[in-house]
Amino acid sequence: MAVFDTPEEAFGVLRPVCVQLTKTQTVENVERLQAQLQAVSDSALQELQQYILFPLRFTLKAPGPKRERLIQSVVECLTFVLSSTCVKEQELLQELFSELSACLYSPNSQKPAAVSEELKLAVIQGLSTLMHSAYGDILVTFYEPSILPRLGFAVSLLLGLAEQEKSKQIKIAALKCLQVLLFQCDCEDHPRSLDELEQKQLGDLFAAFLPGISTALTRVITGDFKQGHSIVVSSLQIFYKTVGFVMADEQLRRLSKVQAKPAVEHRVAELMVHREADWVKNTSDKLTILIKKIIECVSVHPHWKVRLELIDLVEALLVKCSQSLVESAGPLLKALVSLVNDESSEVQAHCSKALRHFADQKVVVGNRAFADILSENLHSLATSLPRLMNSQDDQGKFSTLSLLLGYLKLLGPRVNFVLNSVSHLQRLSKALIQVLELDVADIKVVEERRWNSGHLSASPRTSAAGPRRQIQRRYFRFFTDERVFLLLRQVCQLLGFYGNLYLLVDHFLELYHESVVYRKQAAMILNELVAGAAGLEVENLHEKHTETSPEELREIVTSILEEYTSQENWYLVTCIKAEEMGEELTVKQSGLQAITSGAHTCQVSSFLAFSNPSPTICSMNSNIWQICIQLEGIGHFAYALGKDFRLLLMSALYPVLEKAGDQTLLISQAAASAMMDICHACGYDSLQHLINQNSDYLVNGISLNLRHLSLHPHTPKVLEVMLQNSDASLLPLVADVVQDVLATLDQFYDKRATSFVSVLHALLAALARWFPDTGNLGQLREQSVGEEGSHLSQRLATLEEGLENTTTAEDIEQFLLNYLKEKDVADGNVSDFDNEEGLGCTGSVCGSSTVPQEPAPSLGSSDLALTRAPTHQR
Amino acid sequence: MTMEQESTPSDVPGGDCTPTRMAAPPPPDPQFVLRGTQSAVHALHFCGGAQGQGHPLLLSGSLSGLVHIWSLQTRRAVATLDGHEGQCVTWLQTLPQGHQLLSQGRDLKLCLWDLAEGRNAVVDSVRLESIGFCRGSVLARGHQHWTLAVPGRGSDEANSSPRPLLLAGYEDGSVALWDVSERKVCSRIACHTEPVMALDFDSQKARGVSGSAEKALAVWSLDEQQALQALRTQELTNPGIADVKIRPDRKILATAGWDHRIRVFHWWTMKPLAVLAFHSATVHCVAFATDGLLAAGSRDQRISVWSLYPRT
Repeated sequence: MAVFDTPEEAFGVLRPVCVQLTKTQTVENVERLQAQLQAVSDSALQELQQYILFPLRFTLKAPGPKRERLIQSVVECLTFVLSSTCVKEQELLQELFSELSACLYSPNSQKPAAVSEELKLAVIQGLSTLMHSAYGDILVTFYEPSILPRLGFAVSLLLGLAEQEKSKQIKIAALKCLQVLLFQCDCEDHPRSLDELEQKQLGDLFAAFLPGISTALTRVITGDFKQGHSIVVSSLQIFYKTVGFVMADEQLRRLSKVQAKPAVEHRVAELMVHREADWVKNTSDKLTILIKKIIECVSVHPHWKVRLELIDLVEALLVKCSQSLVESAGPLLKALVSLVNDESSEVQAHCSKALRHFADQKVVVGNRAFADILSENLHSLATSLPRLMNSQDDQGKFSTLSLLLGYLKLLGPRVNFVLNSVSHLQRLSKALIQVLELDVADIKVVEERRWNSGHLSASPRTSAAGPRRQIQRRYFRFFTDERVFLLLRQVCQLLGFYGNLYLLVDHFLELYHESVVYRKQAAMILNELVAGAAGLEVENLHEKHTETSPEELREIVTSILEEYTSQENWYLVTCIKAEEMGEELTVKQSGLQAITSGAHTCQVSSFLAFSNPSPTICSMNSNIWQICIQLEGIGHFAYALGKDFRLLLMSALYPVLEKAGDQTLLISQAAASAMMDICHACGYDSLQHLINQNSDYLVNGISLNLRHLSLHPHTPKVLEVMLQNSDASLLPLVADVVQDVLATLDQFYDKRATSFVSVLHALLAALARWFPDTGNLGQLREQSVGEEGSHLSQRLATLEEGLENTTTAEDIEQFLLNYLKEKDVADGNVSDFDNEEGLGCTGSVCGSSTVPQEPAPSLGSSDLALTRAPTHQR
Repeated sequence: MTMEQESTPSDVPGGDCTPTRMAAPPPPDPQFVLRGTQSAVHALHFCGGAQGQGHPLLLSGSLSGLVHIWSLQTRRAVATLDGHEGQCVTWLQTLPQGHQLLSQGRDLKLCLWDLAEGRNAVVDSVRLESIGFCRGSVLARGHQHWTLAVPGRGSDEANSSPRPLLLAGYEDGSVALWDVSERKVCSRIACHTEPVMALDFDSQKARGVSGSAEKALAVWSLDEQQALQALRTQELTNPGIADVKIRPDRKILATAGWDHRIRVFHWWTMKPLAVLAFHSATVHCVAFATDGLLAAGSRDQRISVWSLYPRT
């Protein structure tokens, strides 16, 4: 709300104050003037600009020492006037610029004058306001060669302030002001864009400051992390904008060979820089050093906004100065790549955007394609990777692997150029294998036992939201940081996604075979390769990349699966033999209890007198992990193939189910989660559903393994689990497999009878469960008859009958007695008395054992279990 | 003479003497076993796979008159054909294009099925006279033109060779060569003392093999004058061969034995190579796929599939 709108009124008010100030220069007088100015409108002020400025400038120029306080208030007043008015004259602009800069001039030192912080701040603000208040045309002509010395002074003054001041406020203000001076201000007061000629002029002018600006800013940027991120961010901005402007390829390309003599005095001409080829070469060499320093420091800066700014820096320099800064292209790209996996998602997103931009634009840096530089970098990284993995700490490993991951992401399908070189593939795989080595000294792994052999009750529906499982916690020898493991997995996944899968799988399968030392790592890598090849969790930067076809993937998975589940890789010693041998219940912990306390190193096993050949704790531990990893791999494969994995269930389901009942906690957990994965991937509702739908495959495995029981001692267990988890639709297959069980029982009745008895128990329990009472039976029967035909209905009829006469304990006892008599009769050692009595009361039961093809009229379930009478066993 | 299946010796032959050279590696297991026919398997036939029309199939005919079509990829039955009124299916053969199936049953009918595009319907049937064990045979002569030999009264097994010649095995133990166009017997030799149960012929080497109810395989040849000559006999441990097939690559042959065993011989030397013990009842039929896979069907209702001496 201006009180004085017209210049006349304002003049009347201001004149006495101005006169007063001219006469006596005191802080009070300046303040009085400023107070009056508040009441004057902008238009009136513009008219009276020169008049008001006079006493102020007079105060500044007056010879003799002045009090800082006075200068400060004068500068503030000046700033106020300038902020409300425009500077329309070239001369005024230049003079004010000089006068303001001179306020901080100290004649006998390089540094800014030792004045109060308030004054410094006021001067910086004054300069900034002055540049903003200048008319557009005037401002452009201001940057003529003759201003060079004065501008240079101001620039070095501001750089000095930014670098050496303690106050954060001053530093930021100085940097802001520097931006204004260097035409980098992004406020709306500078809407006009420069034409080519003007750009060239400015470029020539700023080229003179480039060394100073770049070195000083580099010092600021690489300074203490604690100075605050905004200072670093602004410095980075000024750095890349200035470098990007002066060294812009576009400008340099147009520069004439011959230097046009500027019409300036000799002294100024000496300061002028002509940007010819030699100068560009020298400057770029020096800038490369600075850029490397900056990258080294900033890429690990704790504040994400700083790292974000680094991306802009890289982007700007690579886009604008790809020719002039060709030497820096490598380090710049490296910086970008290492930020691809930044912990801040903003940085990550911005970085991948920038990278995608580069990949899409096929940016050419110097004479080399972007991709060539990347492959070269990857080559050299692959070469040094084993050494780096050996020597670096977790943080170092993390950044190295991030870099590797970035290269892989960027190169995409071209990663094969590196993989096709045998030596590079070997180095890469060596490094991966080496760093993934597990720590197998932990005794708990062997020790932890699964005691409850309960149902596979968990349903995948409960975890339906997040199908991707969490991985069992592993302990690695060479790192502890979980993020490193995550990176390693991503690296492998990307290799699988972009690389030649056949080549990679071949290579790692070879390593898997080569030595037990590599086996676990190779399996881990194979698992991730397949997951990656299927495109799980992989973000594709390359749209034209063709993924591995499902058929190929299935072929590969089949061969890996075959390897995993082969006799020598699947049936490993994971606990001491005594426990293995059937009588688990009695032996229980005896083998291990002795060493549970204080035994945490591998050496422990040496004083344990195990039988020969004795598995050490370490080797059992290692075996357990290997099985777990392979189980996890089967889960991965299921996800990778989706519904296609159903075809592989015929070979995969049996081994997994077998491990689900393993005594070792870790293995049974891993198997359970693999089963879950299979459920999800193949679209089954529950584990029961999975088992039920694939019982024919399981029966196949069970029946074949029963033929070699000594090699597959757990087969009866699998059958038991299968019976527990399936429904009546299994019935047609039951008879078949029970035949096999009984045949095997004949062979091994002395050693393994217990496990078979529990199978038979499970069978009877299952039958009782499938046909709970007559009411349901009728329904079931109708259902089943349609599916299974008359044969089943016969059997069901007998079942029904058997269940109707509720069997008592006496009945069972009687049955057994009768049966024994039968057996005696068959053996031929019976007395007449027995014979008669036996025939007298057991007629119905006789039928079941003498005429095996006919269903027994009573005790229906015995039909299944006992059609094959043990008399045949010899 | 009629032979009843049930009249075979019921007690399992005890110590089956495995050829001594086979002692070192344990006998192999089947690659997989197909279950679910719910009845004894009497006929097997592989089809498809080669023409790129999807995955190979295995057809099985059962005692209950059903024909099951198994996918070898999923190892599950994909379809069931019912056309023989519950009577045993004894012979299955697809015509060269693979979309038409001939099935012969004990209901004295020979049915032609159309299997193209998922159909499974009987399009034609022929009335048969013989109730014996004899199976039919088909000779493909160019596109859409086949010659079908079906057993009449008294003959036992039929087989044809490139010129319209037909080999037949008789229940008197003899094998005869017929000239089909002139309807006369060219040659006839007595190979066995028991009925011929099965024969197979290798037209490249002009050699054939026949199995019968007795304890021997007979190998015979056909000379240029179209005369059959007995070459040799191969003694077996247990009597009774239900089926004999030469692998398409003419390297080995397999027999289905009443003694529950499948036996594998070298076709040229007749050296015994393997005794495959898996089934728990009489093996009724064997079949080879074009890729060398062997399938055997048995009265124990299972079909075992074996991968033997895979060709490299």
